[in-house]
Amino acid sequence: MGKNIIRIKNVKKLYRMGTEVITAVNGISLNVQQGEVCCLFGKSGSGKSTLLNLMAGLEKPTKGEIIIHNKHIERMNENQLAAFRQQYIGFVFQSYNLLPTLTALENVTLPLIFRGVSVKERTERAKEMLKAVGLEGRTHHKPGEMSGGQQQRVSIARAFINNPQVVFADEPTGNLDTKTTYEMMDLITGLASKYKQTLVIVTHDWELSEYADRIVVMMDGKIEKIEKIEQKKMLQNVQQSGGDVE
Amino acid sequence: MSIRDLMMMAGRNLWKRKLRTFLTVLGVVIGTTSIVVMISIGIGMNEGFKKQIEEWGSLQVIDVYASGSGGGYVMMAPASSSSSKSKKDVPLDNAAIEKFKAIEHVEAVSPILQSSMILVSGKYVNYANVIGIDPAAMEALGYKVEEGRVLNGEDKDGLVIGRGVIESMYNPKMSWQMQAQATPPEIDAMNDKIMLTYDWNYGTKGQDKSIKPIKVNVVGVMPNNGSNSYSVIMPMQQMQKIMKDMEAWQKKQGSTSETKKKGQYNQVSVKVDDINEVQNVQQQIKDMGFQASSLTDQLESMKETTKMLRMVLGAIGAISLIVAAIGITNTMVMAIYERTREIGVMKVIGASLRDIKLLFLTEAAFIGFAGGIAGSLISFVMSKVVNVIAMQQGSDMTSLIPIWLYLSAIGFATVIGILSGYLPAKRAMKLSALAAIKTE
Repeated sequence: MGKNIIRIKNVKKLYRMGTEVITAVNGISLNVQQGEVCCLFGKSGSGKSTLLNLMAGLEKPTKGEIIIHNKHIERMNENQLAAFRQQYIGFVFQSYNLLPTLTALENVTLPLIFRGVSVKERTERAKEMLKAVGLEGRTHHKPGEMSGGQQQRVSIARAFINNPQVVFADEPTGNLDTKTTYEMMDLITGLASKYKQTLVIVTHDWELSEYADRIVVMMDGKIEKIEKIEQKKMLQNVQQSGGDVE
Repeated sequence: MSIRDLMMMAGRNLWKRKLRTFLTVLGVVIGTTSIVVMISIGIGMNEGFKKQIEEWGSLQVIDVYASGSGGGYVMMAPASSSSSKSKKDVPLDNAAIEKFKAIEHVEAVSPILQSSMILVSGKYVNYANVIGIDPAAMEALGYKVEEGRVLNGEDKDGLVIGRGVIESMYNPKMSWQMQAQATPPEIDAMNDKIMLTYDWNYGTKGQDKSIKPIKVNVVGVMPNNGSNSYSVIMPMQQMQKIMKDMEAWQKKQGSTSETKKKGQYNQVSVKVDDINEVQNVQQQIKDMGFQASSLTDQLESMKETTKMLRMVLGAIGAISLIVAAIGITNTMVMAIYERTREIGVMKVIGASLRDIKLLFLTEAAFIGFAGGIAGSLISFVMSKVVNVIAMQQGSDMTSLIPIWLYLSAIGFATVIGILSGYLPAKRAMKLSALAAIKTE
């Protein structure tokens, strides 16, 4: 495995709720390697979502450093963050969050629109991306005309279209049934491994963790334990070498 | 984000909330329409004045008098203030005329010599205001004929008569009661024999037989409206000759009329080629030490008196546009509340603050622009309606919308849209990207 693409150093996040101070993330240090599928697992209130938000630059840590691709996220202003996200970050939401007024194709091109990519180029790339997520026939449908699974596929296509270094997924299957959940996880991890992209998934569903290289179990704002799944790695290696022989 | 993409997204967002967009645009339409119609009535009023004054004479002609002498026909011109400053009399002579000609934007200059004389045709006579001018400048000075032609530089003895002089000719031998009942004479000014005399008693018992009426050659007739219908225009040279005879005769009679130094004129008319330069040229002439007045003085003072009314009309329009602007702001603020999550999502997937701000500004600008276009169209119809109603009531206060008013109305409405959208856009920009993550 390659270098550490995400480095978190002693990060703390406090919230003030009236007079009470809540410690959502309490001094976490964590490195995520390039190409790794990292799963943040924990119950609600464990601080996993806050940690994801901190990594994605949606919130600023009260203390500590977050370095992605050698850049200090916590020191960036809004404009720098926007430029950074355009270039390095993809995001998959639990509730898909597609823009209702735009078609599937336009939703997928949106990150490229913000980057100022030409119509021709971005349409081409978006079509490829939609094909990759299995939605060739639905390019001109609006989100309201699609099922949850289809919407999440569009959302995944949108997250990957920039060819980002890191893709964050916040409970990506929280609103989906079991069958679709597996389809979606296959899709995300498949896309990520194809381009050696790093994947950080937040979930409370243990089933999903079997897709991860590493499971970070969180509790009360701290890392309780980190499990590595070597078996899966080995299995994949066998499959790959087998494929080579054939 | 390119302008094209901004417009596309803004358009989609507005289209999604059709009714609300329509109602907001409607507010702008009402504001734009009222401001355009109100201003158009103001413009129509001014144009009306202009037309009215142009009937009295050309707006581009300045009348110049020697300082100290009384003005000619001045209806309501304010007393020229500069005359009091320069007490020293500057002679209004040929040298002065050359100086006027040298002023920028001066098209033509002519001395004016006026006298009352009697026009004779057969047994009929009439008083006429005889004006001697430089015949070459007659056309430029704004004299119009409805028959024949105006004088030109080659005319030495031609004459242009106002229709009014001819139509009101009377037989001096009749008493005035009989004159009132008599049918008006039918005189063909262009072909009948017409004579001119300075003997005011011509045709009556007091006629001085020593004065021989001069036969004149009529080359044109001026229409029976405006200030020249009772005038007779002739070349300066001929006029001066007649005046010399007249003064010699008057001297013999023992009466001395105004004593005028040789080579000086009482009045000079100056034609300016651009109506907007009239006041400027007039001031330059005043600065030389002459008195000067023009019909633009009257126009200005008429405009001044209605300024208040026009301002009130404009204010009514402006108020409705302000209300419309508040409507736009309200709509945009509502949109931001509804789209908080959407804005967050856009930020998470890489929209810059500028993109967010521009998107909302574009939406607001669209509302203003659409309202401006529709408002202009409706104003066009309203203007026609106002004109029809005004005409039925016999009022000459009509509405007039020049192209620039349409264009500036559309531009103004768009700017109003952008200004109204500024605050909400700023607000949208500041929304946290975190809103995208929160699940409902």
